[in-house]
Amino acid sequence: MKRLPLEGIRVADLTMVWAGPFATKILAEMGAEVIKVESPQAWDLVRTLIPMPGVEEFWNCSYYFNDYNRDKKSVTLHLADPRGRELFLRLVERSDVVIENYRADVLDKLGLGYEVLRERKRDIILVSMAGFGKTGPEREYVGYGPIIEQMAGLASLTGYGDDGVPYKTGISYGDPVAGAAAAGAVALALIRRQRTGEGAFIDLAQREVMATLIGEAFVRASLRREVPPHRGNRDERYAPQGVYRCFGEDRWVAISVRSDEEWRRLAQAIGRPDLASLTLPERKARHDELDRAIEAWTEQIRPQVAAQVLQAVGVPAAPVIDTEAIHDDPNLVAREFWVALPHPRMKPWRQPRSPWRLAEAKPTPRRHAPLFGEHNTEILSGLLGLSQEEIAELEAAGIVGRAPVNARPGG
Amino acid sequence: MSGGPLAGVRVLEIGGGIPAAFATRWMAGFGAEVVRSEGPPEALTEDEGIYLLAGKRRISVVEPTTLRRLALAADIVVEDRKPGTLAAWGMAPEDLRAEKPALVIVSITPFGQRGPYAGWEATNLTAFAAGGIHSLTGHPSRPPLQTGGSQALYLGGLHGFAAAITAYFGALVHGEGDWIDLAIQEIQAGMLELYGPRSEYEGGPSPRTGNHVRAVWGLYPCADGYAGVCALERQVPALFALVGDPALEEERFRDFTQRAEHDDELQAILYGWFADKTRAELLELGRKHKVPIGAVLTPLELLASEGLAERGFFDTVETNEGSARVPGRPFLGLPWVPGRWEAPGESTAAVLREWLGEEGVG
Repeated sequence: MKRLPLEGIRVADLTMVWAGPFATKILAEMGAEVIKVESPQAWDLVRTLIPMPGVEEFWNCSYYFNDYNRDKKSVTLHLADPRGRELFLRLVERSDVVIENYRADVLDKLGLGYEVLRERKRDIILVSMAGFGKTGPEREYVGYGPIIEQMAGLASLTGYGDDGVPYKTGISYGDPVAGAAAAGAVALALIRRQRTGEGAFIDLAQREVMATLIGEAFVRASLRREVPPHRGNRDERYAPQGVYRCFGEDRWVAISVRSDEEWRRLAQAIGRPDLASLTLPERKARHDELDRAIEAWTEQIRPQVAAQVLQAVGVPAAPVIDTEAIHDDPNLVAREFWVALPHPRMKPWRQPRSPWRLAEAKPTPRRHAPLFGEHNTEILSGLLGLSQEEIAELEAAGIVGRAPVNARPGG
Repeated sequence: MSGGPLAGVRVLEIGGGIPAAFATRWMAGFGAEVVRSEGPPEALTEDEGIYLLAGKRRISVVEPTTLRRLALAADIVVEDRKPGTLAAWGMAPEDLRAEKPALVIVSITPFGQRGPYAGWEATNLTAFAAGGIHSLTGHPSRPPLQTGGSQALYLGGLHGFAAAITAYFGALVHGEGDWIDLAIQEIQAGMLELYGPRSEYEGGPSPRTGNHVRAVWGLYPCADGYAGVCALERQVPALFALVGDPALEEERFRDFTQRAEHDDELQAILYGWFADKTRAELLELGRKHKVPIGAVLTPLELLASEGLAERGFFDTVETNEGSARVPGRPFLGLPWVPGRWEAPGESTAAVLREWLGEEGVG
């Protein structure tokens, strides 16, 4: 069995909510031992954000939490207490990486800043993922989800174009983007440690990572003082391009025409050979009219059929796949992207595999997200050498817990 | 040699559009020697090229046999051509891997190397459509809306970078690389937040919610543009205190469950509160009261941001049109070297000489 790239790497994971857990989910998928540290007083709030009605221990029954915390272990430690903090530092001594996405000032306030960690483990790699970074005048801004794409310039580029309204992406887009970048940062720092023996302190601002995904807009702004217009689903190079209504409720197909030849084939396919000879400037000038001609055809058929007919003649087209249909998408099903895993408190459901399809090492989801404190004994006793009596004392003192204290729905 | 973490690492980018070019841009910045073999000229716009190609050595190659030898001289190969292209050139990834076990190869495509869509033509829009995020974005009474820029293609590049570097670390430690088949559709399908698992577990597609998932999680017009608030339950009391409307003391707004039934009313209050304040005022209020508030800023405004300047975020790239300022290092803490922009083919002879020991132009 070929080894996964991060086998042998241990991660002390302080991350919560989404950006950080997305990063450590990737590390776990790539073979690292990820130990998720939560406090009985301050747990990962995604556990309790959308509780299933009428379920006991709802913090252990969240499909939302599960998808971003699979393959990790859970230990609980009250870090604000000196005894909890000391146990965490003992975990750091046995770890390669510490990662956190608290607000910029929190880790230092817990007395767990980089210099403190470094005293306990000379070559520790610390990755901090505050929304706006650890330094600078904006470090105190609180940056959840959509705020990142607003502050990074992306939301200003998103819009239909006819009303001037910027739009948010339908997910908290900045989080998984920062998470993937943080996973890359961990690997880079591990490479350097392998070569030089040095650790690292990575200060990752989620807003900055997000801005790297619209680099050409900064070229345009700095060279020509231009802000790109909202372009709906259109493109500056390709015409026509858009999202077209199909047969059924809220069903759509996306189509792009990149060349005169593709346009000629599309015009034939939709039964409008009279339009086949239009040039790119003509197609741009008559875009609205061509959209109606295309939609007159797509409205009669399902998105999958429209896409297949156009792909058969080499024209880029794909259904707009919703969050339910995507679980039955023929391409993802054929690629065995979805995996149903057993869960001790929930019925099985299809969950995404890692998109990093290493052809030889073949990463596969191994285990459901950990129950709260599920690995307390394994970590505290097995790894840190505490006795059962010591663990019982810590539990009695509220430093280690088996359930969040005063958990309420809504995070 | 820079002191970057990837100093001395040889990367061959078989370009390619945004996915391969973005994946290797960060490798170049962190010290790798990136050689880009040019792809079709229409694959990148001029502005994309200025941003994505700085710091790379550009070669116009060349015979497939030469490209194959360059791949075997590299530590990492990144490519985003249609599935089967490398095999048709006599350099199938499996064969390269068999010949050089430490080699890492990353192939980035819209739909992956195998599967019924593998041969599909695609653009950023159609790749975005197939990933699920598109269906959630935009106003519920209007068509799904693509997020700005070329997000599907950039996501391919982002994951291409991280996956390649992770596999390269594996090769350093375990002695063996791998071939990574990255499908942009899968990258997106695996980041559907609450909405993907909810549809699967409870049934039914998640709808588009426009700019308001909930009143306290939305985007509002303000005095000089648009600003957003994203309050989780623990921040709602601070938000309500800041807004200061006495109606917000009432149980129907305080209580998590009841609030959902009065969301329109709450939205109306927030529309009113945001309307007369500027983005700068709102950001300052958010900071002071620890309420997650953001503002819609343009790239032009960000170029003038003091915060980004203080953190040294932007690189400068000299172009025929003048100095372009572009996003630089993605994070701080590892040495990053801003790259110079080369003309296409500028390094062909030098790379053939240095990598293959060949004299003369290939």
